[in-house]
Amino acid sequence: MSAMSGTISLLLGIEDAGELARVTAGAEAIARTLPGPARLGLAAGTGTLDALSRLTTGRPLERLDARGRDALCARLASHAATSRIVETVKIPLLLAAGTELLPGPPEPDAPARPDAALDCTPSREWPACSTADTVVIGSGAGGAMAARTLARRGMSVIVLEEGRRFTAAEFRERPPLDRFLDLYRDGGATVALGRPPLLLPEGRAVGGSTVVNSGTCYRTPDRVLRRWASLGVPVEDFGAHLDEVEATLRVARQPVEPLGRNGLLALAGAERLGWQAAPLRRNAPGCRGSSQCAVGCPHNAKYGVHLNALPQACEAGARIVTHARAERILVERGIATGVRARRPDGSCFEIITPRVVIAAGATQTPLLLRRSGLGGHPELGRGMAVHPATNVAGRFAEPVESWSGVMQSVGIEELHGDGILIEATATPPGMTSFPLPGIGRRLRGELDGARRLAVLGAMIADAPSGRVHGSRHRALLRYDLTREGAGRLRRAMVAMGRILFAAGAEEVLTGLARSPVVRDEDELTRAAAAASRADLHLAGFHPTGTAKLGAGDTAPVDPSGRLRGVRGVHVADASVLPTCPEVNPQLTIMAMALRIAGGIA
Amino acid sequence: MSGRRTTFSEVMAGTLRLAGEERPRPMRLELDVDLPGVLRPWGDTEGALTGRVVVPGWADDEAASGRLRVAPLAARRIRYTMDFTAADGRRLHLDGWKTVAPRRPVRSMTSLPVTVTDEDGTVLGEARLRFDLRRDLAAFLASFRLPARPDDPMRSRWRGRPGRLEVWYTTLTDPATGTGVWLHHELVAPDTGEARAHGWAAVFPPGGSPVFARFGPHGWSRPEDAVFTAGPVVQTAGRLTGTAGTIGWDLRESGGGRPLHTFPRWAWERELLPAAQIVPKPTAVYDGVVRFGDRTLTLRGAPGGSARIYGHGNARRWAWLHADLGGGDVCEIVAAVSTRPGLDRLPPLPLVRLRVDGTDLPSGDPLLAALRLRAGIGLPTWTVQGRLGDRWLRVEVTQRPEETVAVDYADPDGAPAVCHNSERADVRIFLARRAGRSWETEREWHLAGTGHAEVGLR
Repeated sequence: MSAMSGTISLLLGIEDAGELARVTAGAEAIARTLPGPARLGLAAGTGTLDALSRLTTGRPLERLDARGRDALCARLASHAATSRIVETVKIPLLLAAGTELLPGPPEPDAPARPDAALDCTPSREWPACSTADTVVIGSGAGGAMAARTLARRGMSVIVLEEGRRFTAAEFRERPPLDRFLDLYRDGGATVALGRPPLLLPEGRAVGGSTVVNSGTCYRTPDRVLRRWASLGVPVEDFGAHLDEVEATLRVARQPVEPLGRNGLLALAGAERLGWQAAPLRRNAPGCRGSSQCAVGCPHNAKYGVHLNALPQACEAGARIVTHARAERILVERGIATGVRARRPDGSCFEIITPRVVIAAGATQTPLLLRRSGLGGHPELGRGMAVHPATNVAGRFAEPVESWSGVMQSVGIEELHGDGILIEATATPPGMTSFPLPGIGRRLRGELDGARRLAVLGAMIADAPSGRVHGSRHRALLRYDLTREGAGRLRRAMVAMGRILFAAGAEEVLTGLARSPVVRDEDELTRAAAAASRADLHLAGFHPTGTAKLGAGDTAPVDPSGRLRGVRGVHVADASVLPTCPEVNPQLTIMAMALRIAGGIA
Repeated sequence: MSGRRTTFSEVMAGTLRLAGEERPRPMRLELDVDLPGVLRPWGDTEGALTGRVVVPGWADDEAASGRLRVAPLAARRIRYTMDFTAADGRRLHLDGWKTVAPRRPVRSMTSLPVTVTDEDGTVLGEARLRFDLRRDLAAFLASFRLPARPDDPMRSRWRGRPGRLEVWYTTLTDPATGTGVWLHHELVAPDTGEARAHGWAAVFPPGGSPVFARFGPHGWSRPEDAVFTAGPVVQTAGRLTGTAGTIGWDLRESGGGRPLHTFPRWAWERELLPAAQIVPKPTAVYDGVVRFGDRTLTLRGAPGGSARIYGHGNARRWAWLHADLGGGDVCEIVAAVSTRPGLDRLPPLPLVRLRVDGTDLPSGDPLLAALRLRAGIGLPTWTVQGRLGDRWLRVEVTQRPEETVAVDYADPDGAPAVCHNSERADVRIFLARRAGRSWETEREWHLAGTGHAEVGLR
């Protein structure tokens, strides 16, 4: 036994030795994928709890009996400081426990769609010296569209991707948590520092975050486009680009059949309130409702760019180099001449090219530019918007099994005009992201009762208050929730609670430490109002705007997507969005990349 | 750019891993590099790469060629691109570069990863080559040379000194009509006063009077992309255009053959004689249009040549002949009496260059050979005869007065001279070889009205 297993036994109330060993193994696997500081934090958390146990009971955690653990749990919960440590340590442990204690995904039947033909070469097999007409850095939403556009124009295109290629077979055979740790940068534990800190998971695979997103496809709202036009961004033909992207992704309204009870309850609740709600438009033709979008669709039903734009680019001659981390853009006398990339074994290779399209994502693009000596613009890395999101769960009398159905199924746009977009969003089976209340036996009880929970999430249009620091390989993200943002989130929590109560929820789990469970709307309103900014549990899913496009010199990127101050470098990812897009940004990013790539000479 | 080049030889060896093969093959590059200018570490220069690519059993091409870019600090890169032929006859391409890492300068500047592709760009394999410091550094350093850049013989030699005369002149004969065209470009830097560019053009229609016109003078500024400019008259490496009086011309110059050094090479390069002549393009071909008066001459493949003179001024007396003997053979003669006191009492010194079947006669120094030749300068006929190595030569040039124009010249010191020019000269050349106790004619040429000649008198 170790401090880790002792902590798991204490916090999750697990007594069975076999179960404990399995959950501990899972937790240790998570810890191994975490970035250094997070791993250190987790070790410090478990160590602190062990030390507290020794100080208060004279015994290490693993030698506490059931009564001792209950007493310690009560003590920990009664102090704000220890309670905060417990809540932080609980998150990865709950994730590990989910695989063991929650029902896993059903046995998948035959895949709906075969994997696409991609010309992928692992970087270890790629030569040290090569040339290309264009190098696209990143194979996500932006990179795929840029690569396709340029390859179809007859250019030789090489796409560099830090992650690797995943196949549907792998998604069918491996448990969700394993896939999660593999598919996301830093095992999904990317955190933006601030009050409160904010989880910012980013996909890292051929296809980028489109492999792990929920498949929700919103067109860029007109009010957002008008705002961009006022900033000097040409948006006249943006509608046509959105049309083309929708056709590429085969976007359609999600049929109701595979929606699942989580989505149906959201629809029912909204209908009783008279609120505008409907199944979302998604790029998932033939979705079977396995609720595994966030860990890779086992049926290839979600139509990410690894299934359309990238194979189309490869068909036009583009080549993808996987396991290749772009080290720097090579520049001579103000003109881009190539890209140096690093293989996992530390060796480098270079590609000489007159054109570089950066689509490394909003958190990585500023870093790459700084590493390349191109990060001189004062606005680079500033003004990051992330769509802060929170969720609440409603406990129903009968089983909901939110993990069975479409993961993100229903959109409730009643408050969208006020910058609040509510989406019924469950968690993949075998995983839990909702901060279940309590510790010890109570938490164990909550886990056992998780099948009766319906989960709603809400994201808000936020101020560009985030920032990407760092100039080496690890981004240090900072995001401070504004007062207005916190107000919107509180309003969103109350609205989600109202929907759940209207749908028949017995109680609502808020995720707030002080009042984790509320039984009516008034109580929820009071709990939300009393919650300080630091108490909110947040995640951000759509970092954008770290290399904004704009007409004036105050924007690092000009309206055509060209990076200012150097020739031959374009940026075509979420970084260039001038303001928060207010909706899931997949279509917006792809349409923007299409527009930028179309203008590259 | 400096007047020197940088050449060196480099050997790199390593292994080539071909796609689909388990075991890497040994590979060796033996390279000769020729870079323009003196190689400077902070510079960025690109030059020619030739040498041998050896992959035993797969390729051994001794005639591989390509480019080398050397920019170790400016771009942190030394890039090698080469084309070579594999043993199976396929044309292949090799591209690789050393990426100079400031923290590991030696390692990074001695390691060369190379990608080998076929003509379609398909990658066939990747080589890892190294420059072996212990084995090859001494030879590498010892191979460095900074030879003088081969001088462009058409480029102006005048470097601002007073009392100099520089002439570019082109003479040609239209094979269709027998009309001769003479373009004379002259730069005079007088002893006092500004340098001026001027010249003249003359057309020699057969049976008619020559048409003559002058152009200039114009101020001189060293042209960047031309050989000579004076107002409307421009001569570039491959084109002559201009107008002079009623004569206008627009000609393309191509071919030319090896330069013919009528004067010893050292005399031209070191400028040790009062003046020297060279024929940079002894057997050029001209296409284009010449208008004179109300007539138009359209030239197609007209043979001729472009020559140069640089020195202190004209000779006291001189004769010149350019005879295109056909098939790349050419005879060039300058017979002159120097203006220097003492030397002006000597008989004319005939400098002869006879190019026959690609071989230049005399084989040695033309100035030494001139001592065995005699010239008789006069009008309408002048001659040169004497020994040319183990041969005997006689040249007889007749310039008919009606097909000759007289042109007044002024030397840089202001002294006048009159030059009698004709492009309709009759030329007879005999080349004989000793046969026993007598001479036996080896070659004989008769040019009827296609010889280009002049005689200068005071």
